[in-house]
Amino acid sequence: MTLFLLIILFTLSLTVILSKKLITGIIALSAFSLISALLFYVLRAPDVAITEAAVGAGVSTVIYLWTIKGTKEDDSHE
Amino acid sequence: MNHDTFFELLFIILIFLTGLWAVIFDPNLVKKVFGLSVLNSSVVILFILEGSRLGENTPILEDGIKNVVDPLPQALMLTAIVIGVCVSAFALALSKHLYHTTGTFNIHEIRRKVHDDN
Amino acid sequence: MNKIWSFIWSFSSVLIAALLIAFLIFDQAPWPSSSRDYTEASSVQDTGAINLVSSIYLGYRAYDTLGETIVLLLGVLGTLGILQIKSNNEPTRQIQKRRTEFLKVASGKLGPIVLVFGLYVMLFGHVSPGGGFQGGVVIASGIVFLAMGTREAVYSPLVNGGFLKKLESLTFFLIVLSALLGLIVNVGFFGNIAPLVNIKPVYFIVMLNVLIGLKVGSSLGLLCLVFLWDEAT
Repeated sequence: MTLFLLIILFTLSLTVILSKKLITGIIALSAFSLISALLFYVLRAPDVAITEAAVGAGVSTVIYLWTIKGTKEDDSHE
Repeated sequence: MNHDTFFELLFIILIFLTGLWAVIFDPNLVKKVFGLSVLNSSVVILFILEGSRLGENTPILEDGIKNVVDPLPQALMLTAIVIGVCVSAFALALSKHLYHTTGTFNIHEIRRKVHDDN
Repeated sequence: MNKIWSFIWSFSSVLIAALLIAFLIFDQAPWPSSSRDYTEASSVQDTGAINLVSSIYLGYRAYDTLGETIVLLLGVLGTLGILQIKSNNEPTRQIQKRRTEFLKVASGKLGPIVLVFGLYVMLFGHVSPGGGFQGGVVIASGIVFLAMGTREAVYSPLVNGGFLKKLESLTFFLIVLSALLGLIVNVGFFGNIAPLVNIKPVYFIVMLNVLIGLKVGSSLGLLCLVFLWDEAT
Protein backbone atom coordinates (compact mmCIF):
# COMPACT_ATOMS: atom_id res chain seq x y z
CA MET A 1 0.00 0.00 0.00
CA THR A 2 2.75 2.48 0.86
CA LEU A 3 4.69 1.58 -2.28
CA PHE A 4 1.59 2.16 -4.43
CA LEU A 5 1.00 5.59 -2.84
CA LEU A 6 4.66 6.51 -3.27
CA ILE A 7 4.51 5.74 -6.99
CA ILE A 8 1.47 8.01 -7.31
CA LEU A 9 3.33 10.72 -5.37
CA PHE A 10 6.32 10.49 -7.71
CA THR A 11 4.07 10.87 -10.75
CA LEU A 12 2.37 13.89 -9.22
CA SER A 13 5.69 15.54 -8.38
CA LEU A 14 6.80 15.12 -12.00
CA THR A 15 3.53 16.78 -13.07
CA VAL A 16 4.19 19.70 -10.72
CA ILE A 17 7.66 20.37 -12.08
CA LEU A 18 7.27 19.61 -15.78
CA SER A 19 3.95 21.35 -16.48
CA LYS A 20 3.62 24.19 -18.96
CA LYS A 21 1.02 26.29 -17.19
CA LEU A 22 1.36 27.36 -13.56
CA ILE A 23 -2.24 26.52 -12.69
CA THR A 24 -1.68 22.84 -13.54
CA GLY A 25 1.22 22.78 -11.14
CA ILE A 26 -0.85 24.28 -8.35
CA ILE A 27 -3.63 21.70 -8.69
CA ALA A 28 -1.05 18.88 -8.81
CA LEU A 29 0.58 20.26 -5.66
CA SER A 30 -2.77 20.19 -3.89
CA ALA A 31 -3.30 16.56 -4.98
CA PHE A 32 0.24 15.79 -3.76
CA SER A 33 -0.69 17.08 -0.29
CA LEU A 34 -3.89 15.03 -0.28
CA ILE A 35 -2.19 11.73 -1.22
CA SER A 36 0.61 12.32 1.24
CA ALA A 37 -1.97 12.93 4.00
CA LEU A 38 -3.47 9.53 3.11
CA LEU A 39 0.04 8.02 3.26
CA PHE A 40 0.55 9.44 6.75
CA TYR A 41 -2.68 7.85 7.89
CA VAL A 42 -1.58 4.46 6.53
CA LEU A 43 1.77 4.83 8.32
CA ARG A 44 -0.02 5.22 11.70
CA ALA A 45 0.53 8.99 12.16
CA PRO A 46 -2.90 10.68 12.47
CA ASP A 47 -1.64 13.97 13.92
CA VAL A 48 0.69 14.58 10.99
CA ALA A 49 -2.12 13.58 8.60
CA ILE A 50 -4.51 16.23 9.97
CA THR A 51 -1.83 18.90 9.81
CA GLU A 52 -0.71 18.03 6.28
CA ALA A 53 -4.28 17.90 4.95
CA ALA A 54 -5.27 21.25 6.47
CA VAL A 55 -2.03 22.97 5.46
CA GLY A 56 -1.82 21.51 1.96
CA ALA A 57 -5.40 22.03 0.94
CA GLY A 58 -6.40 24.98 3.05
CA VAL A 59 -3.52 27.41 3.37
CA SER A 60 -0.80 26.48 0.88
CA THR A 61 -2.94 26.07 -2.24
CA VAL A 62 -4.83 29.27 -1.50
CA ILE A 63 -1.60 31.26 -1.09
CA TYR A 64 -0.24 29.98 -4.40
CA LEU A 65 -3.47 30.84 -6.22
CA TRP A 66 -3.52 34.35 -4.83
CA THR A 67 0.07 34.88 -5.93
CA ILE A 68 -0.58 34.20 -9.60
CA LYS A 69 -3.90 36.05 -9.55
CA GLY A 70 -3.72 38.95 -11.97
CA THR A 71 -0.51 37.86 -13.66
CA LYS A 72 -0.95 36.80 -17.26
CA GLU A 73 1.68 34.11 -17.33
CA ASP A 74 1.87 30.75 -18.87
CA ASP A 75 5.03 28.84 -18.16
CA SER A 76 6.74 28.68 -21.52
CA HIS A 77 10.31 27.61 -21.11
CA GLU A 78 11.64 29.58 -24.05
CA MET B 1 18.77 -3.23 4.58
CA ASN B 2 15.55 -5.13 4.01
CA HIS B 3 14.64 -5.86 0.47
CA ASP B 4 11.03 -4.77 0.83
CA THR B 5 11.91 -1.23 1.93
CA PHE B 6 14.47 -0.64 -0.82
CA PHE B 7 11.90 0.49 -3.37
CA GLU B 8 10.14 2.81 -0.94
CA LEU B 9 13.38 4.59 -0.11
CA LEU B 10 14.25 4.73 -3.80
CA PHE B 11 11.02 6.53 -4.63
CA ILE B 12 11.53 8.97 -1.79
CA ILE B 13 14.97 9.77 -3.16
CA LEU B 14 13.42 10.33 -6.61
CA ILE B 15 10.84 12.77 -5.22
CA PHE B 16 13.63 14.61 -3.37
CA LEU B 17 15.66 14.90 -6.57
CA THR B 18 12.66 16.23 -8.50
CA GLY B 19 12.23 19.02 -6.00
CA LEU B 20 15.97 19.74 -5.98
CA TRP B 21 16.04 19.90 -9.78
CA ALA B 22 13.23 22.44 -9.80
CA VAL B 23 14.90 24.68 -7.22
CA ILE B 24 18.21 24.80 -9.08
CA PHE B 25 17.47 24.58 -12.78
CA ASP B 26 14.05 26.05 -13.52
CA PRO B 27 13.94 29.67 -14.69
CA ASN B 28 10.49 30.45 -13.34
CA LEU B 29 10.36 31.82 -9.78
CA VAL B 30 7.07 30.16 -8.85
CA LYS B 31 8.37 26.79 -10.05
CA LYS B 32 11.28 27.20 -7.67
CA VAL B 33 8.85 27.66 -4.78
CA PHE B 34 6.96 24.56 -5.95
CA GLY B 35 10.21 22.65 -5.78
CA LEU B 36 10.88 23.92 -2.26
CA SER B 37 7.49 22.65 -1.11
CA VAL B 38 8.00 19.21 -2.72
CA LEU B 39 11.47 18.99 -1.10
CA ASN B 40 9.94 19.71 2.31
CA SER B 41 7.22 17.09 1.88
CA SER B 42 9.68 14.39 0.80
CA VAL B 43 11.85 14.78 3.91
CA VAL B 44 8.75 14.60 6.14
CA ILE B 45 7.65 11.37 4.42
CA LEU B 46 11.13 9.89 4.92
CA PHE B 47 11.14 10.54 8.67
CA ILE B 48 7.63 9.20 9.27
CA LEU B 49 8.38 6.10 7.17
CA GLU B 50 11.52 5.33 9.14
CA GLY B 51 9.75 5.88 12.45
CA SER B 52 6.81 3.65 11.58
CA ARG B 53 8.84 0.48 11.27
CA LEU B 54 9.36 0.09 15.01
CA GLY B 55 5.89 -1.02 15.98
CA GLU B 56 2.40 -1.49 14.71
CA ASN B 57 -0.09 0.63 16.66
CA THR B 58 -1.02 4.32 16.66
CA PRO B 59 0.73 6.17 19.52
CA ILE B 60 -2.40 6.78 21.61
CA LEU B 61 -2.26 4.72 24.80
CA GLU B 62 -5.78 3.57 25.39
CA ASP B 63 -6.40 0.47 27.53
CA GLY B 64 -4.09 -2.38 26.68
CA ILE B 65 -2.26 -1.05 23.66
CA LYS B 66 1.39 -2.06 23.47
CA ASN B 67 4.07 -1.85 20.81
CA VAL B 68 3.33 1.59 19.40
CA VAL B 69 5.01 3.37 16.54
CA ASP B 70 7.79 5.81 17.46
CA PRO B 71 6.11 9.13 18.43
CA LEU B 72 9.22 11.33 18.38
CA PRO B 73 9.57 11.81 14.58
CA GLN B 74 5.87 12.65 14.37
CA ALA B 75 6.21 15.41 16.96
CA LEU B 76 9.22 16.89 15.14
CA MET B 77 7.53 16.75 11.74
CA LEU B 78 4.52 18.73 13.00
CA THR B 79 6.80 21.70 13.55
CA ALA B 80 8.57 21.11 10.24
CA ILE B 81 5.34 21.23 8.20
CA VAL B 82 4.16 24.52 9.69
CA ILE B 83 7.57 26.16 9.29
CA GLY B 84 7.70 24.92 5.69
CA VAL B 85 4.45 26.64 4.78
CA CYS B 86 5.67 29.82 6.47
CA VAL B 87 8.90 29.87 4.41
CA SER B 88 6.96 29.18 1.19
CA ALA B 89 4.62 32.07 1.94
CA PHE B 90 7.54 34.42 2.46
CA ALA B 91 9.18 33.29 -0.78
CA LEU B 92 5.90 33.85 -2.64
CA ALA B 93 5.61 37.36 -1.17
CA LEU B 94 9.09 38.17 -2.46
CA SER B 95 8.35 36.82 -5.95
CA LYS B 96 5.02 38.68 -6.11
CA HIS B 97 6.80 41.92 -5.24
CA LEU B 98 9.38 41.20 -7.93
CA TYR B 99 6.55 40.70 -10.41
CA HIS B 100 5.01 44.05 -9.49
CA THR B 101 8.35 45.79 -9.95
CA THR B 102 9.64 44.18 -13.14
CA GLY B 103 6.62 42.51 -14.76
CA THR B 104 7.92 38.97 -15.18
CA PHE B 105 8.67 35.80 -13.24
CA ASN B 106 11.62 34.69 -15.37
CA ILE B 107 14.97 35.09 -13.63
CA HIS B 108 16.94 35.77 -16.82
CA GLU B 109 14.70 38.67 -17.79
CA ILE B 110 14.74 40.07 -14.26
CA ARG B 111 18.53 40.01 -14.33
CA ARG B 112 18.57 41.74 -17.69
CA LYS B 113 16.19 44.45 -16.49
CA VAL B 114 18.16 45.09 -13.34
CA HIS B 115 21.39 45.40 -15.33
CA ASP B 116 19.72 47.71 -17.84
CA ASP B 117 18.47 49.97 -15.07
CA ASN B 118 21.96 50.19 -13.68
CA MET C 1 22.88 22.73 -29.23
CA ASN C 2 23.28 24.94 -26.20
CA LYS C 3 19.99 23.64 -24.82
CA ILE C 4 21.16 20.01 -25.08
CA TRP C 5 24.42 20.83 -23.30
CA SER C 6 22.59 22.55 -20.47
CA PHE C 7 20.20 19.61 -20.15
CA ILE C 8 23.11 17.11 -19.99
CA TRP C 9 24.89 19.27 -17.41
CA SER C 10 21.83 19.54 -15.17
CA PHE C 11 20.97 15.85 -15.46
CA SER C 12 24.50 14.71 -14.57
CA SER C 13 24.74 17.03 -11.57
CA VAL C 14 21.41 15.68 -10.29
CA LEU C 15 22.76 12.15 -10.78
CA ILE C 16 25.87 12.98 -8.71
CA ALA C 17 23.63 14.40 -5.98
CA ALA C 18 21.57 11.18 -6.15
CA LEU C 19 24.64 9.04 -5.49
CA LEU C 20 25.63 11.14 -2.50
CA ILE C 21 22.15 11.03 -1.01
CA ALA C 22 21.84 7.29 -1.64
CA PHE C 23 24.90 6.64 0.49
CA LEU C 24 23.27 8.56 3.32
CA ILE C 25 19.89 6.89 3.20
CA PHE C 26 20.73 3.24 2.48
CA ASP C 27 22.57 2.86 5.75
CA GLN C 28 22.82 -0.31 7.80
CA ALA C 29 22.19 1.19 11.25
CA PRO C 30 18.79 0.29 12.73
CA TRP C 31 16.41 2.90 14.11
CA PRO C 32 16.90 3.02 17.90
CA SER C 33 13.93 2.11 20.05
CA SER C 34 14.94 3.51 23.44
CA SER C 35 12.91 6.72 23.14
CA ARG C 36 9.77 4.81 22.23
CA ASP C 37 10.20 2.47 25.22
CA TYR C 38 10.75 5.31 27.66
CA THR C 39 7.83 7.37 26.33
CA GLU C 40 5.47 4.40 26.36
CA ALA C 41 6.41 3.49 29.92
CA SER C 42 6.38 6.79 31.75
CA SER C 43 4.66 9.55 29.83
CA VAL C 44 1.19 9.12 31.31
CA GLN C 45 2.54 9.64 34.84
CA ASP C 46 4.72 12.60 33.90
CA THR C 47 2.31 14.66 31.85
CA GLY C 48 -1.08 12.97 32.10
CA ALA C 49 -1.81 13.02 28.37
CA ILE C 50 -2.76 9.79 26.64
CA ASN C 51 -1.73 11.06 23.21
CA LEU C 52 2.02 10.43 23.14
CA VAL C 53 2.71 13.03 20.47
CA SER C 54 1.06 15.73 22.61
CA SER C 55 3.08 14.68 25.63
CA ILE C 56 6.27 15.03 23.59
CA TYR C 57 5.77 18.44 22.04
CA LEU C 58 4.12 19.98 25.10
CA GLY C 59 5.83 18.11 27.91
CA TYR C 60 9.29 16.86 27.13
CA ARG C 61 10.22 19.18 24.25
CA ALA C 62 8.18 22.29 24.86
CA TYR C 63 11.15 24.53 24.05
CA ASP C 64 10.90 23.47 20.39
CA THR C 65 7.28 24.59 20.37
CA LEU C 66 8.26 28.00 21.73
CA GLY C 67 10.86 28.34 18.98
CA GLU C 68 8.30 27.38 16.35
CA THR C 69 5.88 30.08 17.52
CA ILE C 70 8.70 32.63 17.27
CA VAL C 71 9.46 31.50 13.68
CA LEU C 72 5.77 31.89 12.74
CA LEU C 73 5.72 35.39 14.25
CA LEU C 74 8.79 36.45 12.27
CA GLY C 75 7.51 34.91 9.05
CA VAL C 76 4.20 36.77 9.20
CA LEU C 77 6.05 39.98 10.11
CA GLY C 78 8.34 39.66 7.10
CA THR C 79 5.51 38.86 4.71
CA LEU C 80 3.45 41.82 5.93
CA GLY C 81 6.45 44.11 5.55
CA ILE C 82 7.16 43.02 1.98
CA LEU C 83 3.59 43.05 0.72
CA GLN C 84 2.88 46.52 2.04
CA ILE C 85 5.54 48.29 0.01
CA LYS C 86 3.31 50.20 -2.38
CA SER C 87 4.46 50.80 -5.91
CA ASN C 88 2.65 53.31 -8.13
CA ASN C 89 -1.13 53.04 -8.51
CA GLU C 90 -1.96 49.81 -6.74
CA PRO C 91 -5.64 49.15 -6.05
CA THR C 92 -6.41 48.57 -2.41
CA ARG C 93 -8.89 46.05 -1.04
CA GLN C 94 -10.20 44.82 -4.36
CA ILE C 95 -13.37 42.81 -3.97
CA GLN C 96 -13.62 40.79 -7.12
CA LYS C 97 -16.64 41.48 -9.23
CA ARG C 98 -16.55 37.95 -10.61
CA ARG C 99 -17.36 36.19 -7.37
CA THR C 100 -20.62 34.39 -7.86
CA GLU C 101 -23.44 33.91 -5.41
CA PHE C 102 -22.69 30.19 -5.28
CA LEU C 103 -19.19 30.76 -3.97
CA LYS C 104 -20.34 33.31 -1.42
CA VAL C 105 -23.14 31.15 -0.03
CA ALA C 106 -21.19 27.87 -0.03
CA SER C 107 -18.04 29.13 1.62
CA GLY C 108 -19.81 31.59 3.89
CA LYS C 109 -22.03 28.89 5.29
CA LEU C 110 -19.21 26.37 5.61
CA GLY C 111 -16.95 28.76 7.47
CA PRO C 112 -18.48 28.49 10.97
CA ILE C 113 -18.68 24.69 10.68
CA VAL C 114 -14.95 24.45 9.94
CA LEU C 115 -14.24 26.82 12.85
CA VAL C 116 -16.22 24.62 15.25
CA PHE C 117 -14.34 21.55 13.99
CA GLY C 118 -11.05 23.34 14.55
CA LEU C 119 -12.07 24.21 18.10
CA TYR C 120 -12.95 20.55 18.75
CA VAL C 121 -9.64 19.29 17.37
CA MET C 122 -7.79 21.83 19.50
CA LEU C 123 -9.56 21.05 22.78
CA PHE C 124 -9.36 17.24 22.60
CA GLY C 125 -5.69 17.02 21.77
CA HIS C 126 -4.76 15.01 24.82
CA VAL C 127 -7.06 12.00 24.29
CA SER C 128 -7.44 11.70 20.53
CA PRO C 129 -5.44 12.78 17.47
CA GLY C 130 -5.29 16.54 17.53
CA GLY C 131 -3.77 19.32 19.55
CA GLY C 132 -2.45 22.83 19.20
CA PHE C 133 -0.91 22.82 15.73
CA GLN C 134 -3.61 20.72 14.14
CA GLY C 135 -6.49 22.77 15.52
CA GLY C 136 -4.69 25.97 14.66
CA VAL C 137 -4.29 25.18 10.97
CA VAL C 138 -7.93 24.05 10.73
CA ILE C 139 -8.97 27.38 12.30
CA ALA C 140 -6.85 29.18 9.70
CA SER C 141 -8.72 27.31 6.95
CA GLY C 142 -11.99 28.39 8.54
CA ILE C 143 -10.86 32.03 8.46
CA VAL C 144 -10.08 31.64 4.75
CA PHE C 145 -13.58 30.26 4.16
CA LEU C 146 -15.13 33.22 5.98
CA ALA C 147 -13.02 35.71 4.05
CA MET C 148 -14.13 34.33 0.71
CA GLY C 149 -17.77 34.36 1.67
CA THR C 150 -18.35 37.78 3.15
CA ARG C 151 -20.70 40.22 1.55
CA GLU C 152 -19.53 43.72 0.81
CA ALA C 153 -21.23 45.33 3.78
CA VAL C 154 -20.78 42.75 6.53
CA TYR C 155 -17.39 41.99 7.99
CA SER C 156 -17.03 39.83 11.07
CA PRO C 157 -14.13 40.58 13.44
CA LEU C 158 -12.42 37.30 12.50
CA VAL C 159 -11.76 38.69 9.02
CA ASN C 160 -10.39 41.97 10.34
CA GLY C 161 -6.58 42.22 10.19
CA GLY C 162 -6.32 44.39 13.30
CA PHE C 163 -8.20 41.95 15.50
CA LEU C 164 -6.06 39.01 14.35
CA LYS C 165 -2.87 40.94 15.06
CA LYS C 166 -3.99 41.71 18.60
CA LEU C 167 -5.08 38.11 19.20
CA GLU C 168 -1.74 36.78 18.02
CA SER C 169 0.25 39.15 20.24
CA LEU C 170 -1.91 38.38 23.26
CA THR C 171 -1.62 34.59 22.94
CA PHE C 172 2.11 34.76 22.33
CA PHE C 173 2.51 36.85 25.48
CA LEU C 174 0.45 34.31 27.46
CA ILE C 175 2.59 31.40 26.16
CA VAL C 176 5.81 33.11 27.27
CA LEU C 177 4.20 33.97 30.62
CA SER C 178 3.18 30.38 31.28
CA ALA C 179 6.71 29.26 30.39
CA LEU C 180 8.21 31.68 32.89
CA LEU C 181 5.76 30.72 35.64
CA GLY C 182 7.58 27.43 35.98
CA LEU C 183 10.75 29.32 36.85
CA ILE C 184 9.04 31.27 39.63
CA VAL C 185 7.52 28.28 41.43
CA ASN C 186 10.67 26.14 41.10
CA VAL C 187 9.71 23.41 38.63
CA GLY C 188 12.02 24.60 35.85
CA PHE C 189 11.44 26.45 32.58
CA PHE C 190 8.15 25.29 30.98
CA GLY C 191 7.58 22.90 33.85
CA ASN C 192 4.18 21.53 34.72
CA ILE C 193 2.76 23.88 37.35
CA ALA C 194 -0.50 22.03 37.85
CA PRO C 195 0.44 19.76 40.81
CA LEU C 196 1.13 22.86 42.91
CA VAL C 197 -2.41 24.20 42.49
CA ASN C 198 -3.84 20.75 43.30
CA ILE C 199 -5.29 19.95 39.88
CA LYS C 200 -4.33 17.11 37.59
CA PRO C 201 -1.30 17.75 35.35
CA VAL C 202 -3.35 17.27 32.20
CA TYR C 203 -5.00 20.69 32.60
CA PHE C 204 -1.70 22.41 31.88
CA ILE C 205 -1.52 20.46 28.61
CA VAL C 206 -5.06 21.54 27.68
CA MET C 207 -4.33 25.20 28.42
CA LEU C 208 -1.15 25.13 26.35
CA ASN C 209 -3.02 23.42 23.51
CA VAL C 210 -5.65 26.19 23.46
CA LEU C 211 -3.05 28.97 23.50
CA ILE C 212 -0.91 27.43 20.77
CA GLY C 213 -3.96 26.70 18.63
CA LEU C 214 -5.18 30.29 18.82
CA LYS C 215 -1.71 31.62 18.05
CA VAL C 216 -1.10 29.41 15.01
CA GLY C 217 -4.63 29.97 13.72
CA SER C 218 -4.48 33.74 13.92
CA SER C 219 -0.96 33.83 12.43
CA LEU C 220 -1.78 31.76 9.36
CA GLY C 221 -5.18 33.46 8.99
CA LEU C 222 -3.50 36.87 8.95
CA LEU C 223 -1.03 35.58 6.34
CA CYS C 224 -3.87 34.45 4.08
CA LEU C 225 -5.81 37.70 4.49
CA VAL C 226 -2.75 39.75 3.56
CA PHE C 227 -2.34 37.71 0.38
CA LEU C 228 -6.02 38.09 -0.50
CA TRP C 229 -6.50 41.77 0.08
CA ASP C 230 -2.94 43.09 -0.36
CA GLU C 231 -3.11 45.06 2.83
CA ALA C 232 -3.90 44.48 6.50
CA THR C 233 -6.14 46.99 8.17
